[in-house]
Amino acid sequence: MEAMAIKHGELVTLEELNPSSPFFKEGASVRVTGRKWYLYLKEGFDFGLVQWGCVERGFGDEGLMVKSCTSKGVLCLLRRLQEYTVETAIAVVADGNATLKIDTQHLRDISFRIGSIYQLIGELLIQPDNEAILQARVGRIVDGIDLSLYHQSLQLLRQFQADHLNNSTS
Amino acid sequence: MDQRLQNTHVKLLAFDLLSLTQTPSLSTYDPIIFTRKNTTISRIEILGIVTSRELKPNKFLKFTIDDGTGCVTCVLWLNQLTSPYFSRRNPANVKLIADMAAHFASEIKIGVVARVRGRIAGYRGAVQVTVFDVVLERDPNVEAFHWLDCIRLARNCYNVVAGGAV
Repeated sequence: MEAMAIKHGELVTLEELNPSSPFFKEGASVRVTGRKWYLYLKEGFDFGLVQWGCVERGFGDEGLMVKSCTSKGVLCLLRRLQEYTVETAIAVVADGNATLKIDTQHLRDISFRIGSIYQLIGELLIQPDNEAILQARVGRIVDGIDLSLYHQSLQLLRQFQADHLNNSTS
Repeated sequence: MDQRLQNTHVKLLAFDLLSLTQTPSLSTYDPIIFTRKNTTISRIEILGIVTSRELKPNKFLKFTIDDGTGCVTCVLWLNQLTSPYFSRRNPANVKLIADMAAHFASEIKIGVVARVRGRIAGYRGAVQVTVFDVVLERDPNVEAFHWLDCIRLARNCYNVVAGGAV
């Protein structure tokens, strides 16, 4: 039997992945690029292994919390860690002010480092609270990528595709 | 039919490659003729992320290249030492070809960015690429350069026919 065709990951920026975007659909295959921001950790994680520039811990009423300092110096507060198990291994990537949660459980042979830039292909899972999680099936580190060049080239690519489509239908 | 690109590895984006017109022919080597805007195309160069990999040892490696505009199925043959197609050729040369194919196959892993050259073929109505060679790309900006290259070539070369741009 012929294997089911693999869908390509539509090239999108993190800023475009908001509920009003045409890309924001359950099961949509997308490719995103963003800087690894932080990783949700399971309770009991050995913080001695974390190589972050700045990590703080607390045990408040909401459970085990982690504060991390991003490369841009923005302090971020993670949610309750008990919501996540090690199997779900949720990472978060950021581009500008936009962020996206990434389910990394299907990724192999890739290490997640804070501050590195990642490109990920997978399918969007829209949660009941209208928040998206990318179930990544392919990932790679793209440290050194020129994000400005990437975004400008993406606009030119979309324009070329649109022109090509218009010419072939007219 | 314009034949100028017949022996050129044409750089096409996946969405463009997958929308080539297919016409059956009487040739056994090229049973399907692929055309783009009335220009015959037989060789292709694509670049993208490897998103799947299916190995049949000593037969072939089938993999897909995702360039963000589409997914292209590629087939790298690994049967050179047993195929009758190579039986009349110099065994030393066949061994070299087989070794090279095995090397390419070992480099193709999910998540790498690969530049693939090959011959366009049809399989069950779908376009696929019979691989000639593979180069792994490590520069993270190479994909953007490839998109721009494809756009420039399409506008200034591939779309230009005797009567001007189409």
